[in-house]
Amino acid sequence: MTDLHAQPTGPPGHRSTGPSTNSGAGRVLVAVYGVFALAATARASVQLLTRFEEAPLAYLLSALAGLIYIVATITLAHGTRASRRLALVAILIELVGVLTVGTLSVVDPEAFPRATVWSVYGIGYGFVPLVLPILGLAWLWHTRPITS
Amino acid sequence: MIDALAYAVVGLAGVAVLWGVVTAIMNKPPGKAQLLYAAGLEAVTVIQSVIAAAKIIGGFRPAELATTIGYLIGIVILIPIAWFWANAERNRFSGIVLAVAALAVLAMTLRLLMLWTPGR
Repeated sequence: MTDLHAQPTGPPGHRSTGPSTNSGAGRVLVAVYGVFALAATARASVQLLTRFEEAPLAYLLSALAGLIYIVATITLAHGTRASRRLALVAILIELVGVLTVGTLSVVDPEAFPRATVWSVYGIGYGFVPLVLPILGLAWLWHTRPITS
Repeated sequence: MIDALAYAVVGLAGVAVLWGVVTAIMNKPPGKAQLLYAAGLEAVTVIQSVIAAAKIIGGFRPAELATTIGYLIGIVILIPIAWFWANAERNRFSGIVLAVAALAVLAMTLRLLMLWTPGR
């Protein structure tokens, strides 16, 4: 699987010195994202298939969370320059999502009668959903290509 | 679910978590014994899921059937994927990758124990 180690390449005049998003500590980040991709997607699938009508908004947000985690996992694991952009978009949506859903679920619990991974800032998952996008953005910054 | 087996999985997974953290602190990739141990943890986890599936087929109905089935399937795919991911680039972080998967197996087993109560 040599493609997993592909370094970002850019046009002439650009050089990349930082590690790829899928190397070193980035492999741990990908692993954690993978676990959450599985957890959020499985949870949303069960909710949508068995009791969608109970809380459609919460369950659709649950599905969105799962999708975002899947995209972030794949793009971070791929580690190319193009995939970094997608990863950035996914992680920014993730950050907005966990802050929005987290705040709404505290302010207006009635709107979120059923838990999603982002409810109360991810309290059901040790607040990892709140920390993860911050770590993801920090990692993207740490591994940013240096242009000369 | 068998309580004793579930607690065995929790214990084995806990050791796997610590082992991964220790090799990372020692700045070593996971050794052969550690990888075999992870395989052993996977084997016990698979046995647990098979027994639970057999009990469900045999008529046991947990209150949250769909969630329980999701957990029983999800829990067995974590270690194999982490194993591949940890071995594709071997360094101190490989141990943490295995630890993350083992921690997820531990948490999911505890959750399964809670889910394993009969429905109406």
